[in-house]
Order: sequence, then C-alpha cells, then structure tokens
Amino acid sequence: MNLLEYIEFRNTSFEYIKDKKVINSISTKVYKDDITAIVGPNGSGKTTLGKLMTGILKPTFGKVYMFNKDIKYMTLGQVGKQVGYLFQNPEKQFFSCTVEEEIGFVLKIKGFDREYIDKKVEYLLELFQLDHLKEAFPLKLSQGEKQRLAIAAILANEPEYLILDEPTKGLDMDRKTTLVNILEKLNEKGIGITLISHDYNLVNQISNRVIEIYRGEIVEDRRNKD
Amino acid sequence: MTKLIEVENLYFKYKGSKYNILDGVNFNLSRGEVVAIVGLSGSGKSTFLNIICGIIPYIYNGKIKGTVKIWGQKISSMRLSEISTKIGIVFQDPDTQLFSPTVEDEIAFGPENLMVDREEIGWRIKKILKVVGMEDYRYENTNNLSGGQKQLIAMASVLVMEPEILLFDEVFAQLDKEGKKRISQVLMNLKEEGKSMILVEHDYNNIKFADRIMELKDGKLQEFKGR
Amino acid sequence: MRIEEIRIDPRTKLIIVLCLSTLGIVFKDIISLVKILLTTIFISICFHVDLMGSIKKLKSLLYILIVITLAQSIFSSDGNPLVTIGKVTFLTTEGLYKGLEFIFRMMIIIFSATILTTSSSREIVQGFVQWGLPYEMAFMVAIGIRFLPILTEEIKDSLIAIQLRGIELDKIPIKKRIHVYSYLFTPIVLGTISKAERLSIAIEMRGFRAYDSRTSYMVLKMSILDYIIIFMSIVTTIIFYIVY
Repeated sequence: MNLLEYIEFRNTSFEYIKDKKVINSISTKVYKDDITAIVGPNGSGKTTLGKLMTGILKPTFGKVYMFNKDIKYMTLGQVGKQVGYLFQNPEKQFFSCTVEEEIGFVLKIKGFDREYIDKKVEYLLELFQLDHLKEAFPLKLSQGEKQRLAIAAILANEPEYLILDEPTKGLDMDRKTTLVNILEKLNEKGIGITLISHDYNLVNQISNRVIEIYRGEIVEDRRNKD
Repeated sequence: MTKLIEVENLYFKYKGSKYNILDGVNFNLSRGEVVAIVGLSGSGKSTFLNIICGIIPYIYNGKIKGTVKIWGQKISSMRLSEISTKIGIVFQDPDTQLFSPTVEDEIAFGPENLMVDREEIGWRIKKILKVVGMEDYRYENTNNLSGGQKQLIAMASVLVMEPEILLFDEVFAQLDKEGKKRISQVLMNLKEEGKSMILVEHDYNNIKFADRIMELKDGKLQEFKGR
Repeated sequence: MRIEEIRIDPRTKLIIVLCLSTLGIVFKDIISLVKILLTTIFISICFHVDLMGSIKKLKSLLYILIVITLAQSIFSSDGNPLVTIGKVTFLTTEGLYKGLEFIFRMMIIIFSATILTTSSSREIVQGFVQWGLPYEMAFMVAIGIRFLPILTEEIKDSLIAIQLRGIELDKIPIKKRIHVYSYLFTPIVLGTISKAERLSIAIEMRGFRAYDSRTSYMVLKMSILDYIIIFMSIVTTIIFYIVY
C-alpha cells in the first residue's frame, strides 16, 4: 500500500500553562488513506493533539506539517478547505436557523449555484437520516442528531481529510453502526480520517492504525488490519 | 409497597412539534429499585426524566397531560425547590453543572441551600469525595479538572444532598473507561445502600446492575425484551 | 511589606479598594493622582497581584481609555495651545492635563480592583453576605462575572469553527465578510443562552432558594491583622483628604 503522508508531528510539544506539557515531544506521521485512531484516557491530550493537527492550537515547541507545509503559516480557512474538523461539542459549529441551511450555507457563501447546493443538501440529509428534521432548529436537536448534522455539514465542503473528536459521543448503538458505515464508505472514497475517541469498540471496528497516548506521549502505535 | 414515583397516562408535546414525544407513558418506581430506560436518541428519554423532576414544565415549556406523583403527591402542586429536596438529577454535560470556584464550594452549595448544619456539611463533603474518589481535589478550581473529573464532582454535588431518588441522564456519555468504571462502582454502592434510581442510558454495559430495563419507543414505555 | 501566607479577609480587600477608588475620584490634581496610583500599585504588589497579567488582559480596555483621553484633550479649548495646525488648535495644556487626569483616575480604579482577584468569587460573595447583602444577589453577580469569559470563549470558538468550514475570512471582500459575520451571531447568542439555561437548571435542581434562608459552609473570620489594615486604610484616606 502506498502511504501518503498527510500530517506530520515533529518533536511537537504543547503547554497551556508554562512548564505543564499536555503534549510532550510527539513525533509521528499520519497517513492520508488510513483511518487513524487516537485513543487514551480523559486528560491524556487527545483533543489537544487534534487541535494541533488543524492549527487551532499552535505548538509551543516543535512543528506540525500538513502536506509538508508548516501549519503555522496556514490560516484556519486554508486548513478548513482541505480538512473537516468535528468539535467535541458540535453545538459550537452551528451557524444557521434550520438544519437544511446549516448544511448548505458555506456553499452559498462560496458562490455555488442553487441547484448544486440543493442536491448536495438533499443527499446529505438522507445519508444522515435527517430529512424529517430539515426545518428543525439545530440547537434543539438531540445530542445524536446534532452530531450527525455537524458531520453532514462538514461533508458538504468535500474535505479530503476528516478529524473527528469523539464522533460517537451521545450516539446510541444503532446510530453508532450507521456512523461506522458512513465513515467506512467515505474512507473507501479516499477521504482520510483521524478519530479521536475513547470508544474502544468503535476504534477496533474501523481503524487500521491506533495511536494510544498517555500523559501527552505516544505509548503505543499499532496497525490493526490492512 | 410504597411507590416513590407514579406516572399515569403521561402525554407530552414540545412547543411547535407536531407529534407527542411521550404518548401515554405509565411508570412506577418502588423504593430501592433501579430502573434503566433505553431508547434511540430523540426518543424522549431525557424529556421523561425532565418531567419527573419538574424541569418540565417549570423551566422548559410544552404541552403536558397526565399525572406524575412523588410519594403520592402530585408534582404539579410542588415547587421546583421542593422537588429538588427529594429528587437529584445528574446531567450529561459536566461543564454546565459546575459554577463554583472550588470543588469544596461546589459540593457545599446544595446542602447549604437545604439548611444542613455546617458541621454536617463538612462531614458529608469528606465522605462524598471519598465515594467518588476525588479526595485530593477538594481545594482545586473546578475549571482545571478534566471532563470526567468534572462529571464526578457534578455527581458528588447531587449525592451530597442525599436525595431519596436519583436520576441519571446519560452520565457515562462523556467519560473514559476508567471514569465509567468508577461511576459504575459508585452507582452499585448506592444501590446497595437502598437508593432508588432511574438511569437513562444507551450503552447496555453500563446498566447491567439495573433491576428492570424499560424501553422508550414511539412515545411509549415498555418492558425491554432484549436487543 | 509582603503579605505571604496570611489570608486577608475579602472584606478587608473590599475596603482597601473602596478607599483607593474614593481617593481616585475625589482628587483632581495630577500629582496627588500619581501618588495614589503609585500607592495602589504598591498595595497590589503586596497582595501578589499578577500585574503584568492583568495589564495584558485589559489591553483593549486601555486602548479605549487612550482614545477617550485623546478625544477629551482635542475638544478642550482652555489653556495654552500645544499643537496647532493652521488655525485649528488640536491640543492645549488644559486638554492634556484633563486627559492625563482621566487616565490616572481610571488606572487607580482598575488596579485597585485587581486586588480583589486574589480572593475567589465564593469568598467575595461570602464577604458581601456577611455584610448583610442577600445571598441571591451576591451569587447572581458572581455567576455573571463567571460568565463573561464563557462569552468570549464562545466568540473565539465560533470564529475558529466558521473558518474551519473552509472560509478564508481575509480573502473575502468586505461586504460579504459582514454577511459571514452575521452567521456568527446565531451560535454566540444562542450558545450562551442555552448554556445559561442549563446552568440555571443545575442551580435550581440543587435546591437554590429552597428555603428563605441557607447555611453557609464557608464562614469568614477577620483576624487582628484585618482590623489593623482596615483601620489604617480608613485613617490614611481621611488624613490624605484633610491634608490636601
């Protein structure tokens, strides 16, 4: 298998408070075609690592590269064109008054024509079983519906890579299975995925690489299946 | 046997919604019983808990029909603060359950409101912190805790009020393995103590110790018949 | 004078702040104001206030102050002209004087207030309660203050989130950018409201106002040092006032 390097950590460290390293000199490469899982207990630095991957946080020491480009010199907008990021709390990424608009509004800003947008929105609504909630107000949805809407909205952008922070949080078994199927389908289409999760079932089910971190350091890095 | 909670023909519809999210729910909770409620997301599990503890209709609006009684008393005739002395509820999101500068202040808040003796409060704080395994964090700022630790403190803050009935609204959702294990242990101890509990959950692994499992489906609550 | 491990009662701190800001408001001449400002800074250092940190946090507020000062000096026409362009006088001695006076006064109030940050909000609430203020009122104010950083956090997160949707804000023409910003309004306002709602439910369900009165686990006790500091602060303030 030809592995395409997508994101590279080079001696990356991060601290919120001086001398309290949340990420401690991590060096690794994340490949484009993989479904990479980052696992670890609460407070191990998983979410921080995800935020470093997208440039939301800048490393205190060391560097992070996206496609061989130092992420420090990329704007969030540039990153966002390639990478979709799901916040741990999906409420943070809702901007519209209806589910339908939420999926389509970025495309509208970018100036796509109506027909294209409508088709895309309809497709995603169906894929994520949200059609019956088209007119609903995003913040009034249940946790699981919010999660699905957030992922649907990200996918409208057609990102080439997804970073999902706890995507199964608040999902029941059935919806988890649905999500797994969707993620696998997306991966087959060539979209790389990083999953940040402590849901070991999910991780074992779909990821081909599992990076386990503990107290900001990689303690295990294994390949599941190829 | 005394019925702690009696729900009869409960119908509920959110404002602006076309259908009843609860469509004729009947439910009983006996003393010392642990009942788990499962169901798909959006099936109305949280709504049901919110009605039992009075959040609906006191804080959230909607069209409510039917009766809910605690110790035979209709909750529609009780004040929310009165209900809160009998029922404790822990929510999913730990961030919006904590509002005090330190763990100690946070846990003291409930019993202070219930006019518990000062000395007794101190004693209870100590005990409860041990129950949730957070003794070392007593003087810590709640902002500096991880999500799982925050949830443990949120639980402690409710447990410290020593309510007879405890409601848990997907409290495991944001916890890691270690945190889940700890909370499970706490819940099992509470069961042994004879507390009555209703757990809303979607992960079957977390509710093995429940006496009964009910499923909320299509607005109705029924005995759960296996996966 | 360094106050190390001794805990000073929040009420003592409140009185110090009150004394300093009263002096800052009462005095009008620059020399006195500078003296009071220096005293304020000295006292905050004694209380281990992270002054540099506070200044950093208040940076934007300081900019506003400077702008107001400039505006004030420009529109004041008394005194001798300092800067004149053509026939229009832009800055006079009186204007400069008034501007400086304003800025010193505000700095006294701001720096003295930072002394309070060395107590936790719970302690300050308790201070007010033991002075006789209703607990509810003090509690609400404390919650409000706690909420301010949540609001700024909310704004920051929304800006990050919308950019990560692939919108390059700096490349969008101004007119459209305003349109994009209008999208931020929804999550910020509603996010804050929904958080406030959940918070209020949690507070309510923990028995807030269950009875007319409540016990307090925290009880503040003034030490002799507190009484000495209060006495000295008040006496110094009065003497300062009488002498000038």
